[in-house]
Amino acid sequence: MSLLQKAKMMPSRKAAGIHAHDKWGFLYITPFFTIFLLFGLLPILFTVYLAFYHWELLSEANYYVGFQNFSELIKDPYFWIAVRNTFSIFFISFVPQTIVALLLAVVLANPHLKFAMFWRTMLLIPWITSVLAVGIVFSQLFGREFGMINVAMQYLGLPQVDWVGGTIPSQVAIATMINWRWVGYNALIYLAAILAIPKELYESAEIDGASRWQTFIYVTIPQLRNTLTFMLVVGTIGGLQTFLEPLIYGGATGGDSRQFSTLTLYLFEQAFINGRFGYAAAIGIAITIIVVIISFLNYLGSRKIAGEEGVKS
Amino acid sequence: MKKVTRNRKAIVAVAGALSLAATTLMTAPAHAATTKLTIWSFGNVIDTSLQAEYLKLHPEIEIVIKKGDLDQHHSGLKNALYSNVQPDVAAVELSYMGEFRNYSKYLTDLNSLSPSATTIKDDYLPWRWDQMKAPDGAQLGVPTDVGGLAVAYRVDLFKKAGLPTDREKVAALWPTWDKFIEVGKQYKAKTKSNFIDTTGAIFGAVLNQGTEKYVSADGRLIYSTNPTVQRAFTTTANASNAKIGSLIPQYSPDWGVGMNKGTFATILAPAWMLTYIKQYAPKTKGMWDVAAVPGKGGNMGGSALTIPKKAVHAKEAWDFIRWYLAPEQQTKLFLDPKNGAFPTTVSAYENAKVVGYKDPFFNNAPIGAIYSQSATTLKPIALGNKDRTIDNTFGQALSRVMLGKQSSSAAWGQALSDIKRAVG
Amino acid sequence: MTTLTAVKVNRRRKVSPFTYLFLGIFTFISIFPLYWLFVVASNSNEEIAKIPPSVVPGSRFLVQLRALYEAVPFNWALFNTIAIGVVIAVSQVFFSALAGFALAKMKFKGKKSFMVFIISTMMLPSQLGVVVLYLIMANYLNWVDDFKSLVVPALVTAFGVFWMRQTIDTQVPNEILEAAKLDGAAVFRIFRSIVYPVIKPSAFVLGLFSFLYTWNDYLFPSLVLNSPNRFTVQIAIRQLNGSYTQDYALIMCGAFMATLPLLILFVFVGKRLVSGVMDGAVKG
Repeated sequence: MSLLQKAKMMPSRKAAGIHAHDKWGFLYITPFFTIFLLFGLLPILFTVYLAFYHWELLSEANYYVGFQNFSELIKDPYFWIAVRNTFSIFFISFVPQTIVALLLAVVLANPHLKFAMFWRTMLLIPWITSVLAVGIVFSQLFGREFGMINVAMQYLGLPQVDWVGGTIPSQVAIATMINWRWVGYNALIYLAAILAIPKELYESAEIDGASRWQTFIYVTIPQLRNTLTFMLVVGTIGGLQTFLEPLIYGGATGGDSRQFSTLTLYLFEQAFINGRFGYAAAIGIAITIIVVIISFLNYLGSRKIAGEEGVKS
Repeated sequence: MKKVTRNRKAIVAVAGALSLAATTLMTAPAHAATTKLTIWSFGNVIDTSLQAEYLKLHPEIEIVIKKGDLDQHHSGLKNALYSNVQPDVAAVELSYMGEFRNYSKYLTDLNSLSPSATTIKDDYLPWRWDQMKAPDGAQLGVPTDVGGLAVAYRVDLFKKAGLPTDREKVAALWPTWDKFIEVGKQYKAKTKSNFIDTTGAIFGAVLNQGTEKYVSADGRLIYSTNPTVQRAFTTTANASNAKIGSLIPQYSPDWGVGMNKGTFATILAPAWMLTYIKQYAPKTKGMWDVAAVPGKGGNMGGSALTIPKKAVHAKEAWDFIRWYLAPEQQTKLFLDPKNGAFPTTVSAYENAKVVGYKDPFFNNAPIGAIYSQSATTLKPIALGNKDRTIDNTFGQALSRVMLGKQSSSAAWGQALSDIKRAVG
Repeated sequence: MTTLTAVKVNRRRKVSPFTYLFLGIFTFISIFPLYWLFVVASNSNEEIAKIPPSVVPGSRFLVQLRALYEAVPFNWALFNTIAIGVVIAVSQVFFSALAGFALAKMKFKGKKSFMVFIISTMMLPSQLGVVVLYLIMANYLNWVDDFKSLVVPALVTAFGVFWMRQTIDTQVPNEILEAAKLDGAAVFRIFRSIVYPVIKPSAFVLGLFSFLYTWNDYLFPSLVLNSPNRFTVQIAIRQLNGSYTQDYALIMCGAFMATLPLLILFVFVGKRLVSGVMDGAVKG
């Protein structure tokens, strides 16, 4: 405490830290960077190298093939099916997830809400559940013959849906797993962002006689723009890594017609089922390129938004 | 300052707990003075009661089993062969033998062990023995069982559908696969229920009744031209289009539920399949019977036990394999009412107990006679390096037909181009 | 803390019963799959598949639990996962705090590029290096079936450093550091006695995140762990799903038991996790 008092008595000047100890800075980040370079970056660089080789696990002859893996990839219909599935699963998970999470966040932001902490905590429970457990329970729920959802639909006289074989139904099932796990988490993120919105904005909206809906559209949503774009980027990167849900749901091929094979699942299949490590490395690089493109588009987008806001204020 | 001390205490406590944890981890295995034999397998390759019997004979041995599903097990085994941590015994299934028998660099040549594998060679069916012979002559595995083909059917459900229930008469219903499909249609029309668990299984059965599969005896890929493959595919697609099968995948939990509920009346049953039926649906005991398969006999599946090169306990592994797969044990396994794997050992076929065995679970069907007859008419089929990949790709194509997503010819065309891309 | 500031406004807005209904429905949805795990784990397959299906717990849970322990050494799995998870969490917090401190409060050459580097690596898909990491473990380090292969690569994360940098940057006032420096305190002492107490809540949350991640991690452990008594919980459960598939109840019992410890943990740390997630949102 005495230190803090001393600090307060000091003439406030621009203090940017502990200048005198520059050399310590390196020392402090060394453990992080050493391990990170060895086990984070080195494998990635080696992956790039591998992508230019015909490289099979127990093969005697692994040889340099130049860009052949990449040219094969571009012509590989399975790859494009995986691209399509990855994005469509992302789309049918991200959109409803965001809408529901926003609604939950608005509801949770109500200051008169009773048991606020209880609701927040309950909503976070799915997030701590492992993807494996989620995959197992939802695979049973969506089971074709005796799954609880089809059994219930049959009981209610509704037609049976092939939640595994059908392209859209199976992707809906997988998106449901993702949504269940993430919706509460996202709601908390939006809640934090809503609570950070200056209260004056709401007060003046109230004075103007704006309805709840109008307040939401004209005050809350614009203020959440940054959070929304941030979540979009994080969501896409997460979406590109969708892997375990389809694996549990229907094996490494992602269904009989690859109806829910995703990019990362395809990478896994090529490496650890078909043993084609070089080709798998090329898929990994393709995924990275997609991530980079999306991040760049987002960067452009957010600059545009920032520009518009600059004009407004 | 107080806070600091408390933190320090906390750190000490955490560190203490961690080092305790670490020491427990290190010392835990030490208390066992036994030899830990690691066995990697899938399905029912290692029978638990036979395993227990071995442990009684060898109290110094402890057996650790790791199981995965078929593809998971083999890809895990490949990963392990690349590393330095390898099991002492590893199972290899027929559809992977064409690939794994090339790995004489990674799997022990059993002829080089003492006693040499040549001393037990004559106990086994020669063609099964040769399936794990490497191109360089090394013997990489010992065969476990033969999957002679038959059909398991539900007597009660056949009766309800007005079909004959006697196994001879049932077999007479379907001399050919086309007739089998016809019977399926009749059954479905009468009961509105499915005839067979999955039509996809027909593919493998028809395929294995031929003399060649995906590669010719001289090693050329013939999957696209071999008439047997085409016939197997069309027959299966016809069965799917006739809608005589359920959509339940084999070995899934739903499969067991389906068996218990009588969702389907037949299962194509290589000998080892009987073990699965007993496991998945123990309550259906006595409701089943076994009849001859349409067409002539054939072999489906079966495995071999191998010893990876870097196995820590290769000697103990070899002792185990020789005991476990010896004629005596194979016979015992077949006669065990909980099991039913059919022996690969020649002497079993002359053993009156085996040939005359009737299984109470299957309505006292003379399964000894049925399977030995099916197995002795077998001709070995040339194995290929990528059999499993091709199997799986055709399987997916037939699944698409089954689900009504593709016509038979479109699925066939796509399967060929998919296989071409995957295996060349 | 954040709720307090919002109290003044929205006097007009009463909480309608529909709001509670809405929240109630979502709470139900959040819990139902876990409840269903227990229902299936305690019933026979036929109970679940009949029409209408049984939706209340049955009496067979202990039977399944015994089967689970016969199938996999589940206690080992629990022990392994907790031990690995704690080691990783402690080290991630420690190294991240060190690096975060340096990046937030110290001046040295190349600091900016380090930050850019860290943020850009956070964008990379984590599975990108997995294939090669396995090859390294298998062929160069010989760490297959060894906990080192799980622990060492996870000792640090870019996310952890980013998180701690933001925390220290916003929560530790520069003045207090200046004052300590005037007192002649050594850098490490400043870190330990001034920075550490301030960032403790955030550090705890980071540790929790890390622990949850390790607990739920599947892909890499599934590649490197071979011996059943070295399995983590997830790998042990996957074993059930891959090879003893005749029984939904057994698989679901495994999945339930794999989640139960986290639910118990959650009872104690749930609130802190909630605020951690919300803090993280503001940081991002």
